[in-house]
Amino acid sequence: MPRFNFWTVVMILTWVLLFVLLFIPVGSVLVSSFYDQEGNATLANYLKFLGEPRFHQAFVNTLVVGFGGLLGALVLGSIMAFCVSRFVIRGGRFVSLLAILALVSPPFIGAYSWIVLFGAGGVVRGFLRDMGINMPPIYGLGGILMVFSLKFYPYVYLMVSGALSNVNRSLEEAAEGLGLTPWQRTFKISFPMVFPALTAGGLLALIHAIADFGTPRLLGRGYNVLATEAFTLYSAEVGSNMSMATTISVILILVSMFFVMLQRYMSRRNVYHGNMINKPVRIQLKGWRNGLAHFAVYLIGLCGAMPVIISVIYSFRKTSGPVFQDGFALQSYERILFNLGDVVRNSLTFSVAAVVLIVMVGTVVGVLVARRTNFNTALLDGAFMVPYVMPGIVIGIAFIAAFNTGAIVLTGTAMIIILSIFIRRLPYTVRTTASSLRQISPSMEEAAISLGYSPFQAFLRITVPLIVPGIIAGGMLSFVTAINELSSSLVLYVGSTMTMPVRIYLLILDGDFGTAAALSTILLLLSGCAVYIAFRFMGRNEQALL
Amino acid sequence: MSYLTVSNATKQFGQSFMALNGVSVSVERGEFFTLLGPSGCGKTTLLRAIAGFNDLSSGEITLDGSNLRAVPPHQRDIGMVFQDYAVFPHLSVFDNVAFGLKPRKVPAAEIKTRVTQALDAVRLGAMAERLPAAMSGGQQQRIGLARAMVINPRLLLMDEPLSNLDAKLRIELREEIRDIQKQVDIATIYVTHDQEEALAISDRICVMNAGRIEQVGTPQEIYGNPQTRFVAEFVGTLNTFKPGEALDAMLGQLGLSAPDAASWAVRPERLGLAAAGSAANGAAVLPGTVTKYTYLGREAHVQVETPVGPIVVQVANPGMAATREAGEAVSVLVPHDAPMAFGTDNARIGG
Repeated sequence: MPRFNFWTVVMILTWVLLFVLLFIPVGSVLVSSFYDQEGNATLANYLKFLGEPRFHQAFVNTLVVGFGGLLGALVLGSIMAFCVSRFVIRGGRFVSLLAILALVSPPFIGAYSWIVLFGAGGVVRGFLRDMGINMPPIYGLGGILMVFSLKFYPYVYLMVSGALSNVNRSLEEAAEGLGLTPWQRTFKISFPMVFPALTAGGLLALIHAIADFGTPRLLGRGYNVLATEAFTLYSAEVGSNMSMATTISVILILVSMFFVMLQRYMSRRNVYHGNMINKPVRIQLKGWRNGLAHFAVYLIGLCGAMPVIISVIYSFRKTSGPVFQDGFALQSYERILFNLGDVVRNSLTFSVAAVVLIVMVGTVVGVLVARRTNFNTALLDGAFMVPYVMPGIVIGIAFIAAFNTGAIVLTGTAMIIILSIFIRRLPYTVRTTASSLRQISPSMEEAAISLGYSPFQAFLRITVPLIVPGIIAGGMLSFVTAINELSSSLVLYVGSTMTMPVRIYLLILDGDFGTAAALSTILLLLSGCAVYIAFRFMGRNEQALL
Repeated sequence: MSYLTVSNATKQFGQSFMALNGVSVSVERGEFFTLLGPSGCGKTTLLRAIAGFNDLSSGEITLDGSNLRAVPPHQRDIGMVFQDYAVFPHLSVFDNVAFGLKPRKVPAAEIKTRVTQALDAVRLGAMAERLPAAMSGGQQQRIGLARAMVINPRLLLMDEPLSNLDAKLRIELREEIRDIQKQVDIATIYVTHDQEEALAISDRICVMNAGRIEQVGTPQEIYGNPQTRFVAEFVGTLNTFKPGEALDAMLGQLGLSAPDAASWAVRPERLGLAAAGSAANGAAVLPGTVTKYTYLGREAHVQVETPVGPIVVQVANPGMAATREAGEAVSVLVPHDAPMAFGTDNARIGG
């Protein structure tokens, strides 16, 4: 057998890809954080980080929003999961749909919608003021935490409801037989069973919360976190401090890496597999308890989906310039049609290009990882962990640092945005392809071989048709992430490569909410279509969105 | 020369583990040949080497006189039936069975007749257009069987095809497999760890253990005349006598002797049970006390404490009156030709 075959080439190309798009850019971030503006090697950046109260504050704030988001998501997510999987809730599927809506809408739309309701000139706040109730605007920490809780609760909800509906009812019946009261049963049996799912879901919320850039930027009003500090340092018009920005990126990577590792450890512990025989039944509650359960579930679901609802409504409101008028009109959409068509086109072409690349490369590499298991592929599998821990803002800064000068100059091109999305999402496709391949019994291909097909033909005729639906579904979900990407594009865009999330972000900063809402609605519509197609191909599987 | 010969097959995994350790077997045309043994004995490794999925470390395999190891697996023309059925879930039952005929360039009309015939043979003719995903395990394995046979392979391999099915279906399907194999007259190698299945289905059985062959023979030879202690224990059950004066006295009474014997044993169903104090012609009588009675319907197992140790006696067709109470005194009858002697290397040396 020749050792140098197709798969060896794939292996080498994959490593080249990882080095060019990941290790070298991220490495250069790491390296540039050890240099000052003049190019002298120094630890001054880190000393400055340790010394300056402003950075201390950002570090503490990052942890505060992270854990605050975790806590809020845990409370909302577990209440919803418990009610939906244990009680009969009318319209349970609708509630799940609300959770999906919250999940696929970009978080900064959430921030913006809550500003519309409770901001300085907020609708609800104004209404309450007219009634004599004066409430503070939601800017600052409180607002960030509220948006994070409502945005990230679906992670907890989806993980915990999955775990709860898999707890074998016999276990609770056994506990009942041993004389435990319902409360004791819940805390001594059910709770330990779903604890890994709870922590895994909560940490997922935390990871997204500390990487999020848009929400603290729009709602923070002086409440700075590491992601916003890095961006401020990078984008300052006077005295842009690249090496300090990279220093903060490195710190952000370290914080994020720690929690990603913790999250993966917890999800691996999530191994209580229930049997399919004795599934828990949902209880029909009576009276006020029933009312309370429905109220809680719908309140959480609707509040989580509020940004979507607000965006859709506001996108149809009549405007005069950036100011809303009474009544409805299609002005905002007209503005997009005439002025912002290129932004929509950019978003679509970049996302489609990135997804096509992701699917093609990800599938081949996934096959390599799953089918040629050796030390090298195990290493490759591990290397694909790296993009998981990279907040988008860091990838953006890293790409700027790496592709600004030198052998490959990409700054300002569409390619750099496509590649940044590509490298961040590639691991998901590699992993889903590898795991769906591992689920197909090898005897399936052996059967085809014994019937007279060569191994390659057997792969093509048996394995490929079986994994294609999963690949299409995965591609659609990648499309959702790609088209909603803000933080890396914000660093990488130039005028001609502006994408929809970037434009929305800028419109909100300019106060043009109507156009922002219309653009958001289009974005949500595109995401919704992609999720719908994904569910068509793999069945309704909310877990895949995690 | 036999139709299929395997000589000195050796398969080494890693540094030290020998999955196959110098195995040689030969299979005749039309023969139903079974590889029987516990998991890890090397039976599946041998089967997969014949199929071509795992090559041997050393050794030779010839089929109809030609070297099989030089032929890539997809050109060997060997049908295979898998433990997990390996039915293609995205193809209809018909397309599953027709799958192997396409690379053989069989004309469409002939494909139709041959697939229909094969499906009728496994009693799935009415389900040709269905997708296999929702079908039962037994039906899926019938598809697997039809698919492997429709190509008229030179050899049919079956890797524990019934082990994922429930007991009743297992018996039903093994009869069908046996009948179909006799009809189409294809040499078949069947792997199982179920001794009853092996006895029921095979022309010859090869009992394997730890990468080596223990014994090859007809079902009658394997069961009735085991050549090693392993075979005697794996195929059927065994009472081992406690060595000592009582055993020597009993052997003397029966006129049996094997000076090198390390152990003597007897199958439970070869023993008889009689009222205490009875005598019998040509059989040794062991006095004993019943310690346990297990009723199994068509048979009963009576555990008796005797001077040669605890012994299980199997009683066929136990009536209502045959029930024995614990503590009851009985006589165990040991016929002259029942005890078997095994040497220190566990090979059969007498009895």
